[in-house]
Amino acid sequence: MSEQVYAFALESTLDEIQNACPEVISNLIFKKGKLIAKDKNTKENIANHTIKAFDALTERAEAIGDVEKIKIQSTEGKVSIAATKDFYLTTVSSKKADEKYVNTLTRILIPIAIRLAEKIQPASIESEAVMTEEAEPEEDDKDEATEGAIDANEAIEEKAIDEIDEAEEIETYHPDEIEEETATTELEETEQVDELEDEIDTAPLLPEPPVTQLIVENLGGLLVPSDTVRVDQEVINQWSELYGDNKIKEVEVEALNGKTIRCKFKKIKKSKDAGKGIVKMPEKIQLTLETQQGELVTVKPIVE
Amino acid sequence: MVKKKQSQETETAIVVDEGEIAASSEDDQTFKDLSDKLAEIRKDKDVIGYIIRSKTSATIDLNKPEKLAEYAIFSYQVMDSSQEISDQFDLGDVENILIEGKESKALCTKIQGNKISIFMERNADHADILKQISP
Repeated sequence: MSEQVYAFALESTLDEIQNACPEVISNLIFKKGKLIAKDKNTKENIANHTIKAFDALTERAEAIGDVEKIKIQSTEGKVSIAATKDFYLTTVSSKKADEKYVNTLTRILIPIAIRLAEKIQPASIESEAVMTEEAEPEEDDKDEATEGAIDANEAIEEKAIDEIDEAEEIETYHPDEIEEETATTELEETEQVDELEDEIDTAPLLPEPPVTQLIVENLGGLLVPSDTVRVDQEVINQWSELYGDNKIKEVEVEALNGKTIRCKFKKIKKSKDAGKGIVKMPEKIQLTLETQQGELVTVKPIVE
Repeated sequence: MVKKKQSQETETAIVVDEGEIAASSEDDQTFKDLSDKLAEIRKDKDVIGYIIRSKTSATIDLNKPEKLAEYAIFSYQVMDSSQEISDQFDLGDVENILIEGKESKALCTKIQGNKISIFMERNADHADILKQISP
């Protein structure tokens, strides 16, 4: 799988952020001075100039240590450049943009996209940035370049879809079905299936734990255990459907600041709270995560 | 016979623009007011120091005077790079910048032609400091 798929995943995420929040004028991701991904509205030369200006700044930043975040407030809008792992995410928004909303979107979606992309494409992308400076098209060649880019994107999309299809085939694979089929096939085929089953035994195919975004609500009372969160029944049902008989006893909760905690969970009792996308959390867990009521967290099951 | 020595003096006419003098003294007053505010902000234990520059004067007060040049160059670069980034996206003039590093953070702002950089610990309340310095 090429690095293009990696960039495709990130670019799609950036486009989605812009769709969800039209006040976001532009956003791009770079790493070690190289452009990794940008949304469809951002011109490459602008992105590269931005990265150069940022690099010039970081070269002089010994006084404050490695730069983690910059917020530029201008008369017509604002720019935020924030480090996520080794990447820098740049978000440009108009003055009207709700900073909290934009931050929530970017701080959740981008790390998830990076993590997912890394799982799909574990090889390092340091050696190759998808967009290089030499790719800056001349004014006259812009249309051709755009067409080329669209073709390339379509090719990447097709490739990604093929790979997703393959992955789905693997995910929907059930040893029982194979056993039924093998009963009627030739001996050679049976041997192949046996080999395949052996492989499956050593590496059971379980889907990746889904990450669900939920809003924190306070959970209080005398008999409330301080190590248990309450999760929406619908979410628990989804996990049960995904993992069947596999036991899920705990969940991992991650706050916006990156702090995580592993704790027990139960379903939300009150029917009026069902389907609201909330997670009820005792104060102790909120303190550990440095989060509070009304803030977003991500929850994923720990499958045994 | 003793020759009398004649000395010729040329006089240059100096035109005094009263408006310019008024503007200059207004600038000086703004610089002074901002310096006073910064001196007050500097009392906060989380504030490492500050730099204020106008067209004609500059004041620097830092915990580590030996790093004066480092901080001054950084301050200039932050203003310069930020304006460059803002220009790329047609966002107009930069009003203020918050830059957070692993060790400390800096708040840079422009007020009536005066460029100010305040350096502080990471846990300092930069929003409150910005409020204090803003007109």
